[in-house]
Amino acid sequence: MTEATFPQCRIITERLLNPETTEKLLNRLVLIPGIRRMILNGPRLPVTVPYGPAKGCPNPHPMRKVICIGDQSIELQTHVGTILLELESREIIPALPSACEEVFTSFSFRIQEGRYMKTEPSLVDYAKYGPHADKTIIGMVDPKSHSGPVILQGIK
Amino acid sequence: MAYKPQYCPGQTIVADNRRKQLNPDHKLEKIRDVTDKDVVLIMGHRAPGSAYKSAHPPLSEQQEPECPIRKLVTPTDGAKAGDRVRYIQFADSMYNAPCQPYMRSYLEAYRFRGIDPGTLSGRQIIECRERDLEKYAKELVNTELFDPALTGARGATVHGHSLRLDENGMMFDMLQRCVLDKKAGVVKYVKNQIGEPLDTEVKVGKPMDNKWLKAHTTIYHSLVGTAYRDDAELIEYIQRIHSLRVKYGFMPKE
Repeated sequence: MTEATFPQCRIITERLLNPETTEKLLNRLVLIPGIRRMILNGPRLPVTVPYGPAKGCPNPHPMRKVICIGDQSIELQTHVGTILLELESREIIPALPSACEEVFTSFSFRIQEGRYMKTEPSLVDYAKYGPHADKTIIGMVDPKSHSGPVILQGIK
Repeated sequence: MAYKPQYCPGQTIVADNRRKQLNPDHKLEKIRDVTDKDVVLIMGHRAPGSAYKSAHPPLSEQQEPECPIRKLVTPTDGAKAGDRVRYIQFADSMYNAPCQPYMRSYLEAYRFRGIDPGTLSGRQIIECRERDLEKYAKELVNTELFDPALTGARGATVHGHSLRLDENGMMFDMLQRCVLDKKAGVVKYVKNQIGEPLDTEVKVGKPMDNKWLKAHTTIYHSLVGTAYRDDAELIEYIQRIHSLRVKYGFMPKE
């Protein structure tokens, strides 16, 4: 869950991002002080084939790589297409385009301001995760996946 | 005057391409040379070179009931031999892929015999006797209906039609059955259509460039290709159909 008081942005690119590009961009973003949370959105890249005749087979995928952001390494679980950001204040927004422009040289991107993260658990969340689910991460990661958020050391 | 089918309305290049693909008299341009063995490997129904499994004895060996239709219709090679029914399924990107699911079913019905096409929004499956399927699949892969980057042979986990392309220009594939060899610039299948790894890679050629794709696509796309609203004739046609259907819903009495 997120608090409604903080501004939010999303970065949408013309192409789905390679892990190297994602790494480059996120390393630029972590240098901007005041980003509270980030969500990497995109179609999922499962470790094993989830359904079909080859169900259960390993699913090696060139876009599922371990990337290093600051001093943290993260295994990507999605083919990143949208990056959601929760900011401490609107003053940070002008710093985002310059970080993106350095990285997205061969295709276009757009930064939008709006409300993109959940503020209240929905009925479906209740049905899926039950009454005792960790409300701090609903809408950001699947509480059942037991993979909590990655905490990046800020520069503040 | 003998009836001459018009196939498809429209004045744009997209409509032209649709008419070409639908017209069985138009010979599809052959662009690549994927071998029989490679097509069999991509489909993954049998090992290349192995015998076809059968669902029933060959027609020549079994007693056929007296039936005027059976006398009228010549069976296909696969039906004659009693082959199993197998499939190939394609997912086509909406970013100017040369063929699109609805078109596939339409053109296959015009061009092939003994098939059962199934159309969905982003993918299209064709089922028929195995022997015939291999012949048809080879034509579907080797001609202008296929682009290695924007068309994928996908039996399961087909998602990708409406997604943005990746940085390499490939359509998203959760199972990444085909990868772009950046050095050679060639797309190669490393898994068969259901996602099982292949022992040997199957090369399906270079992705076509944007200019070619824009000139050969059969989908309207306002951002990367020809916009639907630019085709006045098609708009007029679709509005007429819409209007007639709505009016018919009220059962007008004249």
